[in-house]
Amino acid sequence: MSNLDLEFNHVSKRYRVWQQQEAGLTTRNAFVRRLQSLRKRAQDFWAVKDVSFEVPRGEALGIIGHNGAGKSTILKLLSNITSPTSGEITIRGRLSALIEVGSGFHPELSGRENVYLSGSILGMRRREITKKLDSIVEFAELRQFIDTPVKRYSSGMYVRLGFSIAAHLDPDILLLDEVLAVGDAAFQSKCLQRIMELKQAGKTIVFISHDLTAVERLCDRVLLMQRGELIKTGPTREVISEYNQATTSFVSSAPPTREIESLPRWARITDLAFRDAAGVMASSFCSGEPLSVRVEYTADEHVEDAVFEVFFYSQDGQLRCQLTTELSGARIDLEPGTGAVEFYCPELSLLPGAYTVDLTIANRGALAGTAIDWQFRCATLCVEKGKTVRGDFYMPHQWQFRREEKDAARNSSHTERSLGELASKV
Amino acid sequence: MSSNTTAEQIEEMLARPGAPRRVTTLRAPSLTLKGLTGDFFKLVQYRDLLYTLSVHRIKVRYKQSVLGAAWAILQPLSLMLIYTLIFSLIVRMPTGGTPYAVFAYAALLPWTFFSTALVNATNGLVTHAQLITKVYFPREILPLTYVIASLFDFLIASTVFAGLMLYYHVALTMRALYVLPIILILTCFVTAISLFFSATQVRFRDIGVAMPLLLQLWMFATPVVYPLSAVPARLQAVYKLNPMVGLIENFRQVTLYGASPDLTLLGLSTLISVLLLVAAYVYFKRVEATVADVI
Repeated sequence: MSNLDLEFNHVSKRYRVWQQQEAGLTTRNAFVRRLQSLRKRAQDFWAVKDVSFEVPRGEALGIIGHNGAGKSTILKLLSNITSPTSGEITIRGRLSALIEVGSGFHPELSGRENVYLSGSILGMRRREITKKLDSIVEFAELRQFIDTPVKRYSSGMYVRLGFSIAAHLDPDILLLDEVLAVGDAAFQSKCLQRIMELKQAGKTIVFISHDLTAVERLCDRVLLMQRGELIKTGPTREVISEYNQATTSFVSSAPPTREIESLPRWARITDLAFRDAAGVMASSFCSGEPLSVRVEYTADEHVEDAVFEVFFYSQDGQLRCQLTTELSGARIDLEPGTGAVEFYCPELSLLPGAYTVDLTIANRGALAGTAIDWQFRCATLCVEKGKTVRGDFYMPHQWQFRREEKDAARNSSHTERSLGELASKV
Repeated sequence: MSSNTTAEQIEEMLARPGAPRRVTTLRAPSLTLKGLTGDFFKLVQYRDLLYTLSVHRIKVRYKQSVLGAAWAILQPLSLMLIYTLIFSLIVRMPTGGTPYAVFAYAALLPWTFFSTALVNATNGLVTHAQLITKVYFPREILPLTYVIASLFDFLIASTVFAGLMLYYHVALTMRALYVLPIILILTCFVTAISLFFSATQVRFRDIGVAMPLLLQLWMFATPVVYPLSAVPARLQAVYKLNPMVGLIENFRQVTLYGASPDLTLLGLSTLISVLLLVAAYVYFKRVEATVADVI
């Protein structure tokens, strides 16, 4: 018996795009045109073009790509919402899609009735639903409201109930869309935990998402789609970083060519690397994670008191922040030869987004544009959700919890201890 | 092994770890017997959805109306009153001695089942566009639930029929049991037309718009307000090709007159209904393959 849970065998999906004709002046005209437009061969659009891949049992596969790359079509094909135009899809086992939670809810019916309704739409048997009802209600945290019509539910309650039903499907193969973005943060982490449980239980997972952090956390392997074609398959980190590099499009200010050409270049920047805490090279990091930046240079001449700087620009071209060797009093004197400067940030403060990077070597106190070397917009740093806060940046912080005790003397030792326990680093 | 236990057993097998899993192959729709039986097997698997959704239809339909389920009775009843007014007070319709009220109701009862089912089922797919583009389930369940809900209305409205028969002292004979096969065939026919119309409605919304007119014409082409005997003999051969003729006329014959059904006529209706049902199912499944793209 094959251990491949999913096989895509040269699958293509064509959509017919019927050209919208302008309504005629007379009814007769319009009618004739409608008939003609029915007969006319419309333009073909291949949403998925000759795609083949396999998913072995227990693997978590991510599918990423731009809007219109064919991700959603693959999801629809897999969940049998629409049929392929050619090719063959083989599915071994019970497949459930967590596509949009709350599908099939009816506002007039109570939560309980809707569990049965939505559950059976998702392919559960009544017996099965009855057995799982308590657990579904518990998970959704809706015990009090289960007999209230869902039209009285808040949108959060609605979504919780929907996800809870879907989370109890108990499939062999799980299809996930952007469902992780539902409910409040607490519920989201609960959802993710449930999905992780399913993964640990050896379920096969196909996850289609824009949220690269979530893909990175969940998936073993990633497919990159572009205009309906499968352009890359590989280990998650590798594909994601390629995708990031290929996709960052910036409001690029024109490079100040003349200034850059007139630079003396006694020393040149030759390489740049971003590394995480484990020293692994990457181009995407989470807010709050440690980041080290290594800038390599080659010097042809002696440079006195050089300053290395790294600039981060957001997508709108704004300078967001800067790493520099200038602030500390320490001098860097460059001798002919090669070397490197390493910056270390214990906690990355930039919020999620893509940042372009400028690198410079300058003399201390040099005016802007009078650097020794300037690498203009030479790299991209992607910051993913991590310690994400509201505001402009994440400020590394710690906190402590203190309760005022009335009888301080008697409880002092106890208070000391609990303070010690509660003190926490975020 | 009946199809009923097959689904059960497969589920049991799936519950056990290491059990062989069901293999599903998805490809472009093609007309094969194997594909068709596979489709039917899927429908059997989803029978709980059919049940839940049908109950849901019945519950929701009258949920926010004052009269509630009384509407199921009011519709054929008010039609009966109108036609009785016209055809017994204004024009006299020969009914073979039966009071016109009960004569009309005997036909309006199955006719209302047919027309309500058709009106609702035709829109069955379109009104669930949201669901269809998000979740897979055998789509024929949607029109089928409307047929089942209408059948339920039919049962409620039948109580009035029984009341009328008592009131007018129309005695039932054992032949009245023929209504059971007649209703079965009628349900087949209603299902066939519902499948066909609901699938067509997805691409051509004209069907839904034309529905009231179509049903009106169809009713007058069926012996509902008049007896079959009133149709000129030379037209009857063509007239009887309408399967509703055999069904409605026989329904009236076995209930009101205690007569044996006209088996030739009923046989013709049965043949047409069954053939149409198979054809409609095949057509529906073909449309289903791309319904999410078009809807």
